[in-house]
Amino acid sequence: MKPVIKVVVFITAACGLFVLCMSAGSIFISPLRIPEILSGGPGPVEYRILVDLRLPRILMALVVGASLSVSGVLFQAVLKNPLADPYTTGVSGGAAVGATVAIAFSMSYFLVALLAFGGSLFAVFFVYAVSRYRGLSGTALVLAGIALSVLLSSAVLLVFAFTRAEYVHKALLWLMGDLSIAKYGMVMRMAVVSMLLVGLSFLYRQHLNVISFGDEFAHGLGVSRGDIINLFWIASLLAAISVSLAGIIGFVGLLVPHVMRYIFGPDHNRLIPASAIGGAVFLMAADTLGRMLVPPYDIPAGIVTGFAGGLFFLVLVIRKGGAYQ
Amino acid sequence: MNVFTADSLCAGYRNKEVLHDIDLAVDEGEFVAIIGPNGAGKSTLLRLLSGYIAPSKGNIHFMGRPVAAYTRREFSRELSVVPQFVNADLSFTVREFGELGLFPHRKILDIGVSPEGETVDAALDAADISHLRDRRMTEISGGERQLAYIARALVQSSRVMLLDEPVSHLDISHAIRIMDVLHAQNRQGTTVITVLHDVNLAAEYCSRIIALKNGRVFGEGEPRDVLTYENVEGLFDTVCIVTENPVSKRPLVYPVPGFIRGN
Repeated sequence: MKPVIKVVVFITAACGLFVLCMSAGSIFISPLRIPEILSGGPGPVEYRILVDLRLPRILMALVVGASLSVSGVLFQAVLKNPLADPYTTGVSGGAAVGATVAIAFSMSYFLVALLAFGGSLFAVFFVYAVSRYRGLSGTALVLAGIALSVLLSSAVLLVFAFTRAEYVHKALLWLMGDLSIAKYGMVMRMAVVSMLLVGLSFLYRQHLNVISFGDEFAHGLGVSRGDIINLFWIASLLAAISVSLAGIIGFVGLLVPHVMRYIFGPDHNRLIPASAIGGAVFLMAADTLGRMLVPPYDIPAGIVTGFAGGLFFLVLVIRKGGAYQ
Repeated sequence: MNVFTADSLCAGYRNKEVLHDIDLAVDEGEFVAIIGPNGAGKSTLLRLLSGYIAPSKGNIHFMGRPVAAYTRREFSRELSVVPQFVNADLSFTVREFGELGLFPHRKILDIGVSPEGETVDAALDAADISHLRDRRMTEISGGERQLAYIARALVQSSRVMLLDEPVSHLDISHAIRIMDVLHAQNRQGTTVITVLHDVNLAAEYCSRIIALKNGRVFGEGEPRDVLTYENVEGLFDTVCIVTENPVSKRPLVYPVPGFIRGN
Protein backbone atom coordinates (compact mmCIF):
# COMPACT_ATOMS: atom_id res chain seq x y z
CA MET A 1 0.00 0.00 0.00
CA LYS A 2 1.20 3.51 -0.79
CA PRO A 3 2.10 5.60 2.28
CA VAL A 4 -0.55 8.24 1.53
CA ILE A 5 -3.28 5.61 1.24
CA LYS A 6 -2.10 4.03 4.51
CA VAL A 7 -2.44 7.36 6.30
CA VAL A 8 -5.89 8.03 4.85
CA VAL A 9 -7.15 4.54 5.75
CA PHE A 10 -5.66 4.82 9.23
CA ILE A 11 -7.21 8.22 10.00
CA THR A 12 -10.58 7.24 8.53
CA ALA A 13 -10.61 4.09 10.64
CA ALA A 14 -9.71 6.13 13.74
CA CYS A 15 -12.59 8.57 13.15
CA GLY A 16 -14.98 5.73 12.38
CA LEU A 17 -14.07 3.97 15.62
CA PHE A 18 -14.63 7.18 17.56
CA VAL A 19 -18.20 7.43 16.24
CA LEU A 20 -18.80 3.73 16.93
CA CYS A 21 -17.56 4.07 20.49
CA MET A 22 -19.94 7.00 21.04
CA SER A 23 -22.80 4.81 19.79
CA ALA A 24 -21.97 1.62 21.61
CA GLY A 25 -22.85 0.79 25.19
CA SER A 26 -25.66 -0.57 27.29
CA ILE A 27 -27.96 1.69 25.27
CA PHE A 28 -27.16 1.76 21.57
CA ILE A 29 -27.45 5.16 19.92
CA SER A 30 -27.36 5.09 16.12
CA PRO A 31 -24.34 6.96 14.71
CA LEU A 32 -26.65 8.74 12.28
CA ARG A 33 -28.65 10.26 15.13
CA ILE A 34 -25.62 11.55 17.09
CA PRO A 35 -25.33 14.93 15.28
CA GLU A 36 -29.07 15.49 15.71
CA ILE A 37 -29.00 14.67 19.44
CA LEU A 38 -25.94 16.82 20.09
CA SER A 39 -27.35 19.83 18.23
CA GLY A 40 -30.65 19.41 20.08
CA GLY A 41 -29.06 20.61 23.31
CA PRO A 42 -29.32 19.28 26.87
CA GLY A 43 -32.49 17.69 28.13
CA PRO A 44 -33.08 14.25 26.57
CA VAL A 45 -31.57 11.19 28.25
CA GLU A 46 -29.62 10.33 25.13
CA TYR A 47 -27.89 13.72 25.21
CA ARG A 48 -26.88 13.15 28.82
CA ILE A 49 -25.57 9.69 28.00
CA LEU A 50 -23.47 11.02 25.15
CA VAL A 51 -22.15 14.20 26.73
CA ASP A 52 -22.02 13.43 30.44
CA LEU A 53 -21.17 9.73 30.43
CA ARG A 54 -19.55 8.60 27.20
CA LEU A 55 -17.68 11.62 25.91
CA PRO A 56 -15.53 12.37 29.00
CA ARG A 57 -14.68 8.72 29.30
CA ILE A 58 -13.76 8.48 25.63
CA LEU A 59 -11.68 11.65 25.83
CA MET A 60 -9.88 10.25 28.85
CA ALA A 61 -9.18 7.01 26.98
CA LEU A 62 -7.86 8.98 24.01
CA VAL A 63 -5.52 11.10 26.14
CA VAL A 64 -4.25 8.24 28.31
CA GLY A 65 -3.86 5.91 25.32
CA ALA A 66 -1.88 8.48 23.34
CA SER A 67 0.35 9.32 26.33
CA LEU A 68 1.14 5.69 27.16
CA SER A 69 1.83 4.80 23.57
CA VAL A 70 4.17 7.75 22.92
CA SER A 71 5.88 7.09 26.24
CA GLY A 72 6.51 3.53 25.03
CA VAL A 73 8.00 4.78 21.76
CA LEU A 74 10.39 7.04 23.66
CA PHE A 75 11.48 4.36 26.15
CA GLN A 76 12.04 1.81 23.37
CA ALA A 77 14.29 4.28 21.52
CA VAL A 78 16.16 5.60 24.55
CA LEU A 79 16.75 2.16 26.08
CA LYS A 80 17.20 0.51 22.66
CA ASN A 81 15.10 -2.30 24.02
CA PRO A 82 12.01 -3.42 22.09
CA LEU A 83 10.46 -4.72 25.31
CA ALA A 84 10.67 -1.41 27.16
CA ASP A 85 7.30 0.11 28.01
CA PRO A 86 6.01 3.10 29.97
CA TYR A 87 6.23 1.10 33.18
CA THR A 88 9.82 -0.07 32.65
CA THR A 89 11.07 2.44 35.18
CA GLY A 90 8.75 1.22 37.92
CA VAL A 91 6.35 4.11 37.38
CA SER A 92 3.32 1.85 37.79
CA GLY A 93 4.61 0.30 41.00
CA GLY A 94 5.25 3.70 42.57
CA ALA A 95 1.82 4.93 41.54
CA ALA A 96 0.21 1.75 42.86
CA VAL A 97 1.71 2.22 46.34
CA GLY A 98 0.70 5.89 46.42
CA ALA A 99 -2.84 5.20 45.28
CA THR A 100 -3.32 2.17 47.52
CA VAL A 101 -2.25 4.09 50.61
CA ALA A 102 -4.54 6.98 49.67
CA ILE A 103 -7.48 4.64 49.09
CA ALA A 104 -6.80 2.69 52.30
CA PHE A 105 -7.16 5.97 54.21
CA SER A 106 -10.26 6.77 52.12
CA MET A 107 -8.84 9.99 50.75
CA SER A 108 -10.52 12.00 47.99
CA TYR A 109 -10.03 11.17 44.32
CA PHE A 110 -7.77 14.19 43.92
CA LEU A 111 -5.47 12.99 46.71
CA VAL A 112 -5.41 9.48 45.27
CA ALA A 113 -4.18 10.90 41.97
CA LEU A 114 -1.71 13.18 43.73
CA LEU A 115 -0.20 10.38 45.84
CA ALA A 116 -0.08 8.11 42.81
CA PHE A 117 1.76 10.81 40.89
CA GLY A 118 4.16 11.34 43.79
CA GLY A 119 4.78 7.59 44.04
CA SER A 120 5.50 7.24 40.35
CA LEU A 121 7.91 10.18 40.36
CA PHE A 122 9.69 8.67 43.35
CA ALA A 123 10.14 5.43 41.40
CA VAL A 124 11.49 7.29 38.37
CA PHE A 125 13.94 9.30 40.47
CA PHE A 126 15.17 6.16 42.14
CA VAL A 127 15.68 4.23 38.90
CA TYR A 128 17.24 7.28 37.26
CA ALA A 129 19.69 7.69 40.14
CA VAL A 130 20.73 4.03 39.96
CA SER A 131 21.30 4.08 36.22
CA ARG A 132 23.06 7.44 36.48
CA TYR A 133 25.41 5.90 39.01
CA ARG A 134 26.16 3.14 36.50
CA GLY A 135 26.82 5.69 33.76
CA LEU A 136 23.24 5.89 32.40
CA SER A 137 23.29 2.38 31.04
CA GLY A 138 20.04 1.14 29.57
CA THR A 139 20.43 -2.35 31.02
CA ALA A 140 21.01 -1.05 34.55
CA LEU A 141 17.91 1.09 34.16
CA VAL A 142 15.70 -1.79 33.05
CA LEU A 143 17.02 -4.07 35.82
CA ALA A 144 16.60 -1.41 38.51
CA GLY A 145 13.07 -0.81 37.22
CA ILE A 146 12.21 -4.50 37.48
CA ALA A 147 13.71 -4.81 40.98
CA LEU A 148 11.86 -1.74 42.19
CA SER A 149 8.58 -2.95 40.67
CA VAL A 150 8.81 -6.21 42.63
CA LEU A 151 9.56 -4.30 45.85
CA LEU A 152 6.68 -1.93 45.30
CA SER A 153 4.12 -4.60 44.45
CA SER A 154 5.06 -6.36 47.69
CA ALA A 155 4.49 -3.03 49.43
CA VAL A 156 1.01 -2.84 47.89
CA LEU A 157 0.17 -6.32 49.16
CA LEU A 158 1.49 -5.34 52.58
CA VAL A 159 -0.87 -2.35 52.68
CA PHE A 160 -3.71 -4.67 51.63
CA ALA A 161 -2.96 -6.94 54.59
CA PHE A 162 -3.80 -4.08 56.98
CA THR A 163 -6.76 -2.67 55.08
CA ARG A 164 -10.51 -3.28 55.32
CA ALA A 165 -11.93 -5.46 52.51
CA GLU A 166 -14.08 -2.76 50.90
CA TYR A 167 -11.07 -0.48 50.47
CA VAL A 168 -9.01 -3.35 49.12
CA HIS A 169 -11.69 -3.85 46.47
CA LYS A 170 -11.65 -0.16 45.62
CA ALA A 171 -7.88 -0.16 45.36
CA LEU A 172 -7.97 -3.28 43.17
CA LEU A 173 -10.35 -1.54 40.79
CA TRP A 174 -7.91 1.35 40.59
CA LEU A 175 -5.01 -1.00 39.98
CA MET A 176 -6.87 -2.54 37.06
CA GLY A 177 -7.02 0.75 35.23
CA ASP A 178 -10.54 2.13 35.41
CA LEU A 179 -11.66 5.00 33.18
CA SER A 180 -15.20 5.29 34.53
CA ILE A 181 -14.12 8.03 36.92
CA ALA A 182 -13.39 10.49 34.09
CA LYS A 183 -14.49 14.11 34.61
CA TYR A 184 -14.19 16.88 32.04
CA GLY A 185 -12.08 19.29 34.09
CA MET A 186 -9.46 16.70 34.92
CA VAL A 187 -9.42 15.24 31.42
CA MET A 188 -8.95 18.66 29.85
CA ARG A 189 -6.08 19.60 32.15
CA MET A 190 -4.42 16.30 31.49
CA ALA A 191 -4.99 16.67 27.76
CA VAL A 192 -3.14 19.99 27.69
CA VAL A 193 -0.11 18.61 29.54
CA SER A 194 -0.05 15.42 27.49
CA MET A 195 -0.31 17.26 24.19
CA LEU A 196 2.59 19.48 25.23
CA LEU A 197 4.73 16.47 26.10
CA VAL A 198 3.77 14.59 22.92
CA GLY A 199 4.56 17.72 20.91
CA LEU A 200 7.92 17.98 22.63
CA SER A 201 8.69 14.34 21.77
CA PHE A 202 7.83 15.11 18.16
CA LEU A 203 10.43 17.89 18.14
CA TYR A 204 12.94 15.25 19.17
CA ARG A 205 11.99 12.89 16.32
CA GLN A 206 15.35 13.20 14.54
CA HIS A 207 17.17 12.59 17.81
CA LEU A 208 15.06 9.49 18.38
CA ASN A 209 15.92 8.10 14.94
CA VAL A 210 19.61 8.59 15.60
CA ILE A 211 19.45 7.23 19.18
CA SER A 212 17.77 4.01 18.03
CA PHE A 213 20.96 2.98 16.27
CA GLY A 214 23.08 2.94 19.43
CA ASP A 215 24.76 5.20 21.95
CA GLU A 216 28.10 5.55 20.24
CA PHE A 217 26.41 6.10 16.89
CA ALA A 218 24.18 8.82 18.33
CA HIS A 219 27.07 10.45 20.13
CA GLY A 220 29.04 10.61 16.88
CA LEU A 221 26.15 12.43 15.25
CA GLY A 222 25.92 15.09 17.93
CA VAL A 223 23.25 13.78 20.32
CA SER A 224 24.26 14.89 23.80
CA ARG A 225 23.66 13.15 27.08
CA GLY A 226 21.35 16.04 27.97
CA ASP A 227 19.10 15.20 25.00
CA ILE A 228 18.79 11.62 26.22
CA ILE A 229 18.02 12.72 29.78
CA ASN A 230 15.34 15.10 28.48
CA LEU A 231 13.73 12.29 26.51
CA PHE A 232 13.84 10.01 29.55
CA TRP A 233 11.96 12.60 31.60
CA ILE A 234 9.40 13.34 28.90
CA ALA A 235 8.65 9.61 28.65
CA SER A 236 8.47 9.21 32.43
CA LEU A 237 6.16 12.20 32.89
CA LEU A 238 3.78 10.93 30.20
CA ALA A 239 3.62 7.58 31.99
CA ALA A 240 3.32 9.11 35.46
CA ILE A 241 0.45 11.39 34.47
CA SER A 242 -1.44 8.56 32.78
CA VAL A 243 -1.01 6.09 35.59
CA SER A 244 -1.89 8.54 38.34
CA LEU A 245 -5.16 9.54 36.70
CA ALA A 246 -6.30 6.31 35.09
CA GLY A 247 -4.57 3.53 37.02
CA ILE A 248 -2.38 0.83 35.57
CA ILE A 249 -3.27 0.13 31.97
CA GLY A 250 -0.84 -2.39 30.58
CA PHE A 251 0.35 -3.28 27.12
CA VAL A 252 -0.72 -0.08 25.30
CA GLY A 253 2.82 1.30 25.38
CA LEU A 254 4.31 -1.97 24.22
CA LEU A 255 1.77 -3.18 21.69
CA VAL A 256 0.80 0.00 19.85
CA PRO A 257 4.32 1.20 18.96
CA HIS A 258 5.17 -2.27 17.64
CA VAL A 259 2.11 -2.42 15.43
CA MET A 260 2.71 1.14 14.21
CA ARG A 261 6.33 0.35 13.44
CA TYR A 262 5.12 -2.64 11.47
CA ILE A 263 2.68 -0.51 9.46
CA PHE A 264 4.51 2.81 9.11
CA GLY A 265 8.17 1.85 9.54
CA PRO A 266 10.71 2.88 12.20
CA ASP A 267 11.05 6.58 11.28
CA HIS A 268 9.91 8.62 14.31
CA ASN A 269 8.68 11.35 12.00
CA ARG A 270 5.74 9.05 11.28
CA LEU A 271 5.99 6.76 14.30
CA ILE A 272 5.21 9.40 16.92
CA PRO A 273 2.01 10.79 15.36
CA ALA A 274 0.91 7.28 14.34
CA SER A 275 1.50 5.90 17.84
CA ALA A 276 -0.30 8.83 19.45
CA ILE A 277 -3.38 8.26 17.31
CA GLY A 278 -3.10 4.46 17.42
CA GLY A 279 -2.72 4.39 21.22
CA ALA A 280 -5.63 6.78 21.68
CA VAL A 281 -7.95 4.74 19.48
CA PHE A 282 -6.81 1.40 20.89
CA LEU A 283 -7.56 2.37 24.47
CA MET A 284 -10.87 3.95 23.48
CA ALA A 285 -11.91 0.73 21.73
CA ALA A 286 -10.70 -1.40 24.65
CA ASP A 287 -12.66 0.68 27.15
CA THR A 288 -15.79 0.59 25.00
CA LEU A 289 -15.46 -3.17 24.72
CA GLY A 290 -15.22 -3.30 28.51
CA ARG A 291 -18.45 -1.33 28.78
CA MET A 292 -20.27 -3.61 26.32
CA LEU A 293 -19.11 -7.15 27.08
CA VAL A 294 -21.12 -8.05 30.19
CA PRO A 295 -23.65 -5.31 30.90
CA PRO A 296 -24.36 -3.89 33.35
CA TYR A 297 -20.82 -4.57 34.60
CA ASP A 298 -17.96 -2.36 33.58
CA ILE A 299 -14.81 -4.33 32.88
CA PRO A 300 -11.86 -2.01 33.64
CA ALA A 301 -9.96 -0.99 30.52
CA GLY A 302 -6.71 -2.37 31.92
CA ILE A 303 -8.14 -5.89 31.90
CA VAL A 304 -9.34 -5.59 28.31
CA THR A 305 -5.99 -4.22 27.09
CA GLY A 306 -4.27 -7.02 28.98
CA PHE A 307 -6.33 -9.71 27.26
CA ALA A 308 -6.55 -8.15 23.80
CA GLY A 309 -3.01 -6.88 23.80
CA GLY A 310 -1.51 -10.07 25.19
CA LEU A 311 -3.27 -12.30 22.67
CA PHE A 312 -2.56 -10.04 19.74
CA PHE A 313 1.07 -9.73 20.74
CA LEU A 314 1.41 -13.49 21.06
CA VAL A 315 0.01 -13.99 17.55
CA LEU A 316 2.38 -11.34 16.22
CA VAL A 317 5.39 -12.98 17.83
CA ILE A 318 4.43 -16.44 16.59
CA ARG A 319 3.86 -15.20 13.04
CA LYS A 320 6.76 -12.79 12.74
CA GLY A 321 9.33 -14.02 15.24
CA GLY A 322 11.61 -11.11 16.05
CA ALA A 323 11.38 -9.60 12.58
CA TYR A 324 8.54 -7.14 13.07
CA GLN A 325 10.67 -4.44 14.63
CA MET B 1 47.82 22.10 10.83
CA ASN B 2 47.26 19.58 13.61
CA VAL B 3 43.81 18.03 13.65
CA PHE B 4 44.43 16.18 16.87
CA THR B 5 47.08 16.66 19.51
CA ALA B 6 47.12 14.68 22.70
CA ASP B 7 49.67 14.41 25.44
CA SER B 8 50.11 11.82 28.16
CA LEU B 9 46.59 10.46 27.78
CA CYS B 10 45.34 7.86 30.21
CA ALA B 11 41.88 6.37 29.98
CA GLY B 12 39.84 3.32 30.82
CA TYR B 13 36.58 2.00 32.17
CA ARG B 14 35.55 1.41 35.80
CA ASN B 15 38.75 1.04 37.82
CA LYS B 16 40.65 -0.42 34.91
CA GLU B 17 43.06 1.76 33.01
CA VAL B 18 43.31 0.67 29.38
CA LEU B 19 45.53 3.35 27.87
CA HIS B 20 48.68 4.67 29.55
CA ASP B 21 50.55 7.85 28.65
CA ILE B 22 49.64 8.12 24.99
CA ASP B 23 51.15 11.02 23.03
CA LEU B 24 49.67 11.66 19.65
CA ALA B 25 49.53 14.19 16.84
CA VAL B 26 47.55 13.82 13.62
CA ASP B 27 47.92 16.31 10.77
CA GLU B 28 45.19 17.44 8.44
CA GLY B 29 44.98 15.18 5.37
CA GLU B 30 46.61 12.14 6.94
CA PHE B 31 45.28 8.58 6.54
CA VAL B 32 46.15 6.93 9.86
CA ALA B 33 45.65 3.29 10.79
CA ILE B 34 45.60 2.19 14.43
CA ILE B 35 46.70 -1.45 14.63
CA GLY B 36 47.51 -3.87 17.41
CA PRO B 37 46.34 -7.07 19.08
CA ASN B 38 42.89 -7.50 20.59
CA GLY B 39 42.59 -5.63 23.88
CA ALA B 40 45.46 -3.26 23.08
CA GLY B 41 43.18 -0.23 23.50
CA LYS B 42 42.53 0.65 19.85
CA SER B 43 38.80 1.22 20.22
CA THR B 44 39.37 3.07 23.48
CA LEU B 45 41.78 5.44 21.74
CA LEU B 46 39.22 6.05 19.00
CA ARG B 47 36.52 6.74 21.60
CA LEU B 48 38.81 9.23 23.30
CA LEU B 49 39.32 11.05 20.01
CA SER B 50 35.58 11.11 19.31
CA GLY B 51 34.89 12.42 22.80
CA TYR B 52 32.70 9.40 23.62
CA ILE B 53 34.78 8.81 26.73
CA ALA B 54 36.88 11.37 28.58
CA PRO B 55 40.53 10.81 29.47
CA SER B 56 41.28 10.17 33.13
CA LYS B 57 44.52 12.09 32.66
CA GLY B 58 45.98 14.28 29.91
CA ASN B 59 44.49 16.56 27.26
CA ILE B 60 43.13 16.16 23.76
CA HIS B 61 42.89 19.13 21.45
CA PHE B 62 40.95 19.16 18.21
CA MET B 63 41.90 21.93 15.77
CA GLY B 64 43.69 23.67 18.61
CA ARG B 65 40.73 23.62 21.00
CA PRO B 66 40.13 21.14 23.84
CA VAL B 67 37.63 18.48 22.75
CA ALA B 68 35.56 19.16 25.86
CA ALA B 69 35.10 22.80 24.78
CA TYR B 70 32.99 21.83 21.74
CA THR B 71 29.25 21.27 21.96
CA ARG B 72 28.23 17.85 20.68
CA ARG B 73 26.58 19.22 17.54
CA GLU B 74 29.45 21.56 16.76
CA PHE B 75 31.92 18.71 17.11
CA SER B 76 29.84 16.39 14.91
CA ARG B 77 29.95 18.89 12.06
CA GLU B 78 33.75 18.62 12.12
CA LEU B 79 34.13 14.93 12.86
CA SER B 80 32.15 11.85 11.88
CA VAL B 81 32.33 8.46 13.55
CA VAL B 82 31.64 4.98 12.19
CA PRO B 83 31.41 2.84 15.34
CA GLN B 84 31.94 -0.89 15.36
CA PHE B 85 28.50 -1.71 16.69
CA VAL B 86 25.38 -0.24 15.13
CA ASN B 87 21.89 -1.57 15.77
CA ALA B 88 21.11 -3.52 12.58
CA ASP B 89 17.48 -4.34 13.40
CA LEU B 90 15.87 -1.15 12.16
CA SER B 91 14.18 -1.27 8.80
CA PHE B 92 15.10 2.20 7.57
CA THR B 93 15.80 2.36 3.83
CA VAL B 94 19.42 2.93 2.84
CA ARG B 95 18.54 6.47 1.75
CA GLU B 96 16.73 7.27 5.02
CA PHE B 97 19.70 5.91 6.91
CA GLY B 98 22.07 8.10 4.90
CA GLU B 99 19.94 11.13 5.74
CA LEU B 100 20.73 10.65 9.42
CA GLY B 101 24.12 12.11 8.54
CA LEU B 102 22.45 15.48 8.07
CA PHE B 103 21.46 15.48 11.73
CA PRO B 104 24.23 17.75 13.10
CA HIS B 105 23.58 20.26 10.30
CA ARG B 106 19.83 20.40 10.79
CA LYS B 107 17.81 22.59 13.10
CA ILE B 108 15.41 20.82 15.42
CA LEU B 109 12.39 22.26 13.63
CA ASP B 110 13.44 21.29 10.08
CA ILE B 111 10.82 19.04 8.59
CA GLY B 112 11.28 16.22 6.13
CA VAL B 113 12.79 16.97 2.72
CA SER B 114 15.76 19.27 2.90
CA PRO B 115 17.83 21.05 0.27
CA GLU B 116 20.83 18.97 1.37
CA GLY B 117 19.19 15.96 -0.32
CA GLU B 118 21.93 16.11 -2.96
CA THR B 119 24.55 15.51 -0.27
CA VAL B 120 22.89 12.19 0.50
CA ASP B 121 22.71 11.12 -3.14
CA ALA B 122 26.32 12.13 -3.71
CA ALA B 123 27.43 10.10 -0.68
CA LEU B 124 25.50 7.01 -1.82
CA ASP B 125 27.19 7.47 -5.19
CA ALA B 126 30.63 7.82 -3.64
CA ALA B 127 30.09 4.59 -1.70
CA ASP B 128 28.72 2.99 -4.88
CA ILE B 129 25.42 1.95 -3.30
CA SER B 130 23.00 4.22 -5.20
CA HIS B 131 21.26 1.14 -6.56
CA LEU B 132 20.37 0.12 -2.99
CA ARG B 133 18.83 3.45 -2.00
CA ASP B 134 15.30 2.11 -1.54
CA ARG B 135 16.27 -1.22 -0.02
CA ARG B 136 15.86 -1.69 3.72
CA MET B 137 18.93 -1.79 5.95
CA THR B 138 17.68 -5.12 7.33
CA GLU B 139 17.58 -6.70 3.86
CA ILE B 140 21.05 -5.94 2.51
CA SER B 141 24.26 -7.92 3.10
CA GLY B 142 26.79 -7.17 5.83
CA GLY B 143 29.20 -5.67 3.32
CA GLU B 144 26.55 -3.45 1.81
CA ARG B 145 25.48 -2.37 5.26
CA GLN B 146 29.04 -1.36 6.10
CA LEU B 147 29.16 0.70 2.90
CA ALA B 148 25.92 2.35 4.00
CA TYR B 149 27.50 3.19 7.39
CA ILE B 150 30.35 4.86 5.55
CA ALA B 151 28.02 6.70 3.17
CA ARG B 152 26.15 7.95 6.23
CA ALA B 153 29.40 9.33 7.61
CA LEU B 154 30.20 10.96 4.26
CA VAL B 155 26.85 12.76 4.40
CA GLN B 156 28.06 14.38 7.59
CA SER B 157 30.66 16.22 5.40
CA SER B 158 33.15 16.49 8.22
CA ARG B 159 36.83 17.22 7.84
CA VAL B 160 37.80 14.18 9.91
CA MET B 161 36.45 10.61 9.87
CA LEU B 162 37.00 8.08 12.66
CA LEU B 163 36.27 4.43 11.93
CA ASP B 164 36.38 1.40 14.22
CA GLU B 165 37.22 -1.74 12.25
CA PRO B 166 35.23 -0.84 9.15
CA VAL B 167 36.26 -3.97 7.24
CA SER B 168 36.23 -6.73 9.86
CA HIS B 169 34.05 -9.72 8.88
CA LEU B 170 33.99 -8.63 5.24
CA ASP B 171 35.17 -10.49 2.16
CA ILE B 172 38.18 -9.13 0.25
CA SER B 173 36.08 -7.47 -2.41
CA HIS B 174 33.97 -5.50 0.08
CA ALA B 175 37.02 -4.71 2.19
CA ILE B 176 38.79 -3.25 -0.84
CA ARG B 177 35.69 -1.33 -1.91
CA ILE B 178 35.45 0.26 1.53
CA MET B 179 39.14 1.09 1.70
CA ASP B 180 38.91 2.58 -1.82
CA VAL B 181 36.05 4.82 -0.74
CA LEU B 182 38.06 5.99 2.26
CA HIS B 183 41.12 6.48 0.08
CA ALA B 184 39.17 8.62 -2.40
CA GLN B 185 37.75 10.65 0.47
CA ASN B 186 41.23 11.14 1.89
CA ARG B 187 42.49 12.35 -1.50
CA GLN B 188 39.82 15.04 -1.36
CA GLY B 189 41.27 16.31 1.88
CA THR B 190 39.41 14.40 4.58
CA THR B 191 41.59 13.23 7.44
CA VAL B 192 40.87 9.53 8.06
CA ILE B 193 41.75 7.70 11.26
CA THR B 194 40.74 4.06 11.35
CA VAL B 195 41.24 1.02 13.53
CA LEU B 196 42.25 -1.91 11.33
CA HIS B 197 42.86 -5.56 12.15
CA ASP B 198 44.35 -6.35 8.79
CA VAL B 199 47.93 -5.03 8.81
CA ASN B 200 48.21 -5.48 5.05
CA LEU B 201 45.27 -3.20 4.37
CA ALA B 202 46.88 -0.68 6.71
CA ALA B 203 50.14 -1.03 4.78
CA GLU B 204 48.47 -0.56 1.42
CA TYR B 205 46.25 2.39 2.16
CA CYS B 206 47.55 4.40 5.07
CA SER B 207 50.11 7.16 5.19
CA ARG B 208 50.90 6.42 8.81
CA ILE B 209 50.44 3.56 11.24
CA ILE B 210 50.11 3.78 15.00
CA ALA B 211 50.73 0.41 16.64
CA LEU B 212 49.31 -0.11 20.14
CA LYS B 213 50.20 -2.87 22.56
CA ASN B 214 49.04 -3.22 26.17
CA GLY B 215 47.72 0.32 26.13
CA ARG B 216 50.94 1.98 25.01
CA VAL B 217 52.26 3.16 21.66
CA PHE B 218 54.45 0.30 20.45
CA GLY B 219 55.59 2.06 17.31
CA GLU B 220 54.46 4.61 14.80
CA GLY B 221 55.42 6.04 11.45
CA GLU B 222 55.15 5.19 7.76
CA PRO B 223 54.08 1.61 7.02
CA ARG B 224 57.55 0.56 5.78
CA ASP B 225 59.13 1.76 9.05
CA VAL B 226 56.57 0.28 11.41
CA LEU B 227 55.90 -3.02 9.66
CA THR B 228 59.31 -4.59 9.93
CA TYR B 229 59.24 -8.25 10.88
CA GLU B 230 60.77 -7.56 14.31
CA ASN B 231 58.05 -5.02 15.04
CA VAL B 232 55.21 -7.19 13.79
CA GLU B 233 56.46 -10.20 15.75
CA GLY B 234 56.86 -8.10 18.86
CA LEU B 235 53.47 -6.48 18.42
CA PHE B 236 51.47 -9.67 17.89
CA ASP B 237 53.83 -12.21 19.55
CA THR B 238 53.55 -14.25 16.39
CA VAL B 239 56.25 -15.37 14.02
CA CYS B 240 55.77 -13.82 10.61
CA ILE B 241 57.53 -12.84 7.43
CA VAL B 242 57.50 -9.39 5.91
CA THR B 243 58.13 -8.96 2.20
CA GLU B 244 57.00 -6.39 -0.32
CA ASN B 245 53.89 -6.22 -2.43
CA PRO B 246 55.36 -6.47 -5.95
CA VAL B 247 52.80 -4.05 -7.37
CA SER B 248 52.49 -1.34 -4.74
CA LYS B 249 55.95 -1.78 -3.18
CA ARG B 250 54.29 -1.58 0.23
CA PRO B 251 55.20 -4.02 3.02
CA LEU B 252 53.34 -7.33 2.98
CA VAL B 253 53.01 -9.38 6.16
CA TYR B 254 52.17 -13.05 6.33
CA PRO B 255 52.16 -15.31 9.33
CA VAL B 256 54.04 -18.57 9.70
CA PRO B 257 51.54 -21.20 10.89
CA GLY B 258 52.26 -23.03 14.13
CA PHE B 259 54.60 -20.51 15.71
CA ILE B 260 53.22 -18.41 18.50
CA ARG B 261 56.10 -16.68 20.19
CA GLY B 262 56.71 -17.82 23.72
CA ASN B 263 55.53 -21.38 22.98
